Amino acid sequence: MNKTIISTAIITALLTFFFTRMYYVSVEIIHTENHEESNHESEQNFSQELLDEFGIVVETASGGILERTIELPGEIQIDPDRLAHITPRFDGVVQKVFKQIGDTVKKDDLLAVIESNESLTTYELRSSIDGIVLDMHFTKGETAQRPDHFFAVADLSEVWVNLSVYQKYLSQIKMGQTVNMIFSSDDQPEKGQISYISPTLDEQTRTAMARVILKNNELKFRPGQFITGQVIVDNTYCDLIVPKTALETVNDKPVIFTVDEHGIEPKIVTIGKKNHKSVEIVSGLTLGQTFVQKGGFVLKAEFAKESFGGGHNH
Amino acid sequence: MKKLIQFVLENRFLMVLIGVIIIGTGYYSYKNLPLDALPEITPPVVRVYTITEGLAPEEVEQLVTYPVEVAMAGLPNIAELRSISTFGLSIVNVFFDDGTDIYFARQLVNERLQEASRQIPEGYGTPEMGPIATVLGLVMFYYLEDESETYSLEELRTIQDWMIKPILRTIPGVTEVISVGGYEKQFQVIVQPDALLRYEISLNEIIEKIQTNNSNVGAQYIIKNAEEFTVRSIGLVNSMDDLGKIVIKSVDGTPVFLNDLAEIGIGGEIRRGLQTRNGEKEVVAGQIVKLFGTNSSVIIERVEEKLTEINDMLPDGVKMVPYYEQKTLVNASLSTVTNALIQGIMLVILVLILFLSDIRSSLVVAFSIPFSLLFSLVGMSYFGISANLMSLSGLAIAIGLLVDDSIVIVENISRILREKDPLKSKIQIIIDACVEIFQPVVFSTLIIILVFIPLLTIQGVEGRTFEPLAYTVILALISSLFYAIFIGPALSHFLLPNLPFEEKNKISFGQKFQDYLIKLYKPIVSYFVSFPRVSVIITLVFLFIGAIIFPRLGSEFTPEMNEGTTIVTVQMAPSISLEESKRLAMLVEKRLMNIPEIEEVVTVMGTGEVGGEYMPINMGDIYINYKPKTQWNIPLSKDGIEDKIREKLASVPGVVISLTQPIKMLTDELIEGVRGDLAIKLFGNDLEKLKAQGDNIARVLGNISGAADVQVEQTVGSPQLVIQIDRQAIARYGINVSDVQEVVRSAIGGVTAGQVFEGIQRFNILVRFPEKYRGSKEAIENILITSSMGAVLPLSELAHIREVVGPRQISRKNNQRFITIQCNVSNRDIGSFVEEARENLKNEIKLPAGYFTEWGGQYKLQQEANKKLIVIVPIILIIILSLLFLNFHSLKNSLLIILNIPLALVGGVVALWLTNQNLSVPSSIGFIALFGIALENGMVLLTYLNQLVKEGVSVEEASISGAKMRLRPVLMTALTTALGLLPLLFATGTGSEVQRPLATVVVGGLVTSTILTLLVIPALYKWFSDELK
Repeated sequence: MNKTIISTAIITALLTFFFTRMYYVSVEIIHTENHEESNHESEQNFSQELLDEFGIVVETASGGILERTIELPGEIQIDPDRLAHITPRFDGVVQKVFKQIGDTVKKDDLLAVIESNESLTTYELRSSIDGIVLDMHFTKGETAQRPDHFFAVADLSEVWVNLSVYQKYLSQIKMGQTVNMIFSSDDQPEKGQISYISPTLDEQTRTAMARVILKNNELKFRPGQFITGQVIVDNTYCDLIVPKTALETVNDKPVIFTVDEHGIEPKIVTIGKKNHKSVEIVSGLTLGQTFVQKGGFVLKAEFAKESFGGGHNH
Repeated sequence: MKKLIQFVLENRFLMVLIGVIIIGTGYYSYKNLPLDALPEITPPVVRVYTITEGLAPEEVEQLVTYPVEVAMAGLPNIAELRSISTFGLSIVNVFFDDGTDIYFARQLVNERLQEASRQIPEGYGTPEMGPIATVLGLVMFYYLEDESETYSLEELRTIQDWMIKPILRTIPGVTEVISVGGYEKQFQVIVQPDALLRYEISLNEIIEKIQTNNSNVGAQYIIKNAEEFTVRSIGLVNSMDDLGKIVIKSVDGTPVFLNDLAEIGIGGEIRRGLQTRNGEKEVVAGQIVKLFGTNSSVIIERVEEKLTEINDMLPDGVKMVPYYEQKTLVNASLSTVTNALIQGIMLVILVLILFLSDIRSSLVVAFSIPFSLLFSLVGMSYFGISANLMSLSGLAIAIGLLVDDSIVIVENISRILREKDPLKSKIQIIIDACVEIFQPVVFSTLIIILVFIPLLTIQGVEGRTFEPLAYTVILALISSLFYAIFIGPALSHFLLPNLPFEEKNKISFGQKFQDYLIKLYKPIVSYFVSFPRVSVIITLVFLFIGAIIFPRLGSEFTPEMNEGTTIVTVQMAPSISLEESKRLAMLVEKRLMNIPEIEEVVTVMGTGEVGGEYMPINMGDIYINYKPKTQWNIPLSKDGIEDKIREKLASVPGVVISLTQPIKMLTDELIEGVRGDLAIKLFGNDLEKLKAQGDNIARVLGNISGAADVQVEQTVGSPQLVIQIDRQAIARYGINVSDVQEVVRSAIGGVTAGQVFEGIQRFNILVRFPEKYRGSKEAIENILITSSMGAVLPLSELAHIREVVGPRQISRKNNQRFITIQCNVSNRDIGSFVEEARENLKNEIKLPAGYFTEWGGQYKLQQEANKKLIVIVPIILIIILSLLFLNFHSLKNSLLIILNIPLALVGGVVALWLTNQNLSVPSSIGFIALFGIALENGMVLLTYLNQLVKEGVSVEEASISGAKMRLRPVLMTALTTALGLLPLLFATGTGSEVQRPLATVVVGGLVTSTILTLLVIPALYKWFSDELK
């Protein structure tokens, strides 16, 4: 009897073991996927067709002019020297008005005839400059008084553009710098030079004022108009410039992909000056080297594949 | 017991009536049973989505996810709280305990949502619950085909959102339709920053003006004579024109219209997902989500019915084209199982006729198949088990087993009917025959049921996958037992011929066949009984072979099911823009279209409307539909094409490719995070520290022998432009932080300022700066901000603007940030690996305060499962043993029966090896089934041997003649079981991959166990008999 009990126990134990193994298989996930060993070489080969297919454009490194600009908001103003306020010398009744707002006048053109209250004689009011009547307060029969009633005549053949210079740009804005005046995205920008920079800052806006004088023979620029002034602060020739699209950031470092017979390789570069389109490369790239000018992102991703290929992380 | 059978026979009409009723109910259940491809494998989960426009992951987590999580914590029955905070979106998954009613769970969540929304700061979105659906609820995907090529993506999306979607949503069972791709139409007010300066207006004022100039009101009614006139005032913006005419300011009576300040146009909303097709163009698409617990195939059918209706209604040239339907899979897998079922039934009936050589008794037995199947269906619909690949597989496995009980009973009845003297009434004879065999029948069925019970204790996705199978097997067995006890005897009375048994004299083919078999069998069994040692040697040889082969078997989780659709998942660099990922996806598509067997490819990049699966924009799924097989160039298999796809895509730079299938993908995602053998979750607060410590842990793990594929979850990699406000600077100018941020938000990100109504369609009005003034770091630096004192300053004067790399998404579990470090273990026992890893980590890494690890992964599941099994399995075995003991009243006899098990297992192992299959979950279920099946044969045989000995026959004599007499039922039960499974062995349809290993094991095991039952048990009987004393 003892034997039977012992053998029962042994068989039960054995079966328990096997049974457990069986269910164990049920919960075991066995990894059949083989993670391919990716080559860790820093160079990779890409055929020309592949580059074409994925829109990767290469270019030869060369020098060029790097224009750096600062954009400043500005406003067109009438040149105060070319504005005349023509007021009646004596108070009197307006007899006749010859010019209306908007009329073009020449110097010494008759503007109005006024009968003086004092002498009761009439006298003529003539323009002192060539220009356009911007404003006038004369109605026939009205008593014209100084200084309320006047003709404002402005010569708009030249206007001022006053640009607001923020504190942080003050050191870079200099007299004589060229400014591209942008009125709207459609128009061709107008060029001008900075002719004056205010020595003090506006107390309200904390900006300095830089002035550009613009020729305005066609009366294209209207005082009061807002414009954007693109001040060219730097315009030097750099030995090596590349379009901004060529730069990729890998591990927080700027990288350019160079192409040679061995393949494509990422090169860490040092950046010099830059503008919104191009950057100067100080080191890391040599003149005449072929580099990826556009589409480098795909390459960057290819080089970083292992790091993000870690599972479909939904 | 006798009374029961007597009762059955006395009320035989009632019994047959009950049978008919059950069959009727079963048929009704069959018509109404939900059909699915796979069982419901998701735990009850409620998803809470919050869209927060334009916020970065950190802010989303802090401002949105956290309050939602806090509100949800402490709900009853919560199993786990997991969340993802990513750009502009917060997803909180509230997992409930298995078995929690989903509507109850949603109600709980809904109550707390109110509280959560109060905690979320104004303007950062409202948390909402996802659709009442599960992961496998995405039953159909379609795209809009524009043959006329005249519609823009905005127009197509409008068609999708406002024409198609409302119709689809009315279909019963469709809970949500998710639009993906194209652009949601919006009215864009692109404000010129110059104009703001010129007119001294702020963006905020414009937004306010738009809001205050866009409304309708009702003003009750007036009475004119005897009539009533409803008064309404119409001031809603209906068009771009209306919008442009809104007066923003009036200077000296000169109105400044919105037109003067801004360009007004129609554009697309900001989007985080798109769809492309065939590498040609972007498409607008939709995904249909079915309601939880509804019938997938019925819903798809309903959608298809609506399809023509919808297509008629759509503008000319626009068509709705489905590109993925779960129905195909559901139908295919169901037809695989149904075919196997039908073929199995035919084979079983054939065996019955051959062995019983009597149509009448065959009929009684065969009836048990439809009865048991239909009765099981009643059970399934009662317990809410849907008809799917797994539950139907359970039925298919059970076919052969279903007849076993009836065979034994009917065989005994007919045998006794032939032999016993005609003095007893027919009823009496049937009662005697039933009682004689009743106990072993009940016990053997109980044993099979018992061995399936541990399957129900397996946890997680695997458990939920195979649970329905265990349930249906158990249900079917109970049904067959029910039939054998209640219906079988009654039917026997009606159908079996009256006394005296006439057919005795006729010698049918079946009889001849059996006689031949017995003639063949007798000398062999005699030999073995005389030389029992030979049988011991044979047994040992068998066991030895099994022991050699077993370790050679490969193993896998579940054999991959061929779903008919291939998905190529693409993964790109985490920092990628949507436009670039679209470009790359289309290039990949173009390459795929070069494969001639491919009919169509459709790609989803990123995420469409909220409610579906969340994917970041650097990830995409490419659905590949093949041409019909007849058009395939070379006789390629799907594997061959998949190899071709891999080859084609191998050289795509910057894209990581992997191939999967729709349902596989969804289920894989469910177990994502525990995919590796070992997953260490590192919890802590600081993302940087988490990353650093995670890397450390990975390094330590990597140095332990046996470590493979060590991976740290990628949590960073999204570039950010951070505008850090300089408090000193704003103090100087007297500007508030909010003044700056309002401009940042509206100028750069854009602000919705109400909606334009076009009939019932409504579109957002977005106020924003032109691209030129916000599209680059430089442009953003130059955005002008006006101080209250009138100073106009560029943003760069007031804030530091810098580019940093930020987190991609922040994952949290139970209110804690974490990252996962995954690792597989190869060539080593995982337990010792974990021990070493724990030791090494403790020695080498000192985690900062507040940081802790949680060890999980497959390893943990196994551990938990083992813990349970170590308790359950012995208990089950003890119950089985006691059942055997109860039956035989002899421990020795019971042991003899149990001896069958190892022999059966050897057969299963050999069969797997011969057919070149792996150990997997289905095959191990096959082994489990074998335990029970193997015992049954032995029990039937041994019972008879004992009976003979009791009647005074010598043990030796009893062994031989008993075995001879029992040859027929043993062979029959074994053959029916094996043949019932045979169709599954050779099936090639969808889902057969899962069933084949199971069937292989059972059939193989049956072969060895039957042979050995017939030879070893009689031989060893004398050693194990109690009657010698």
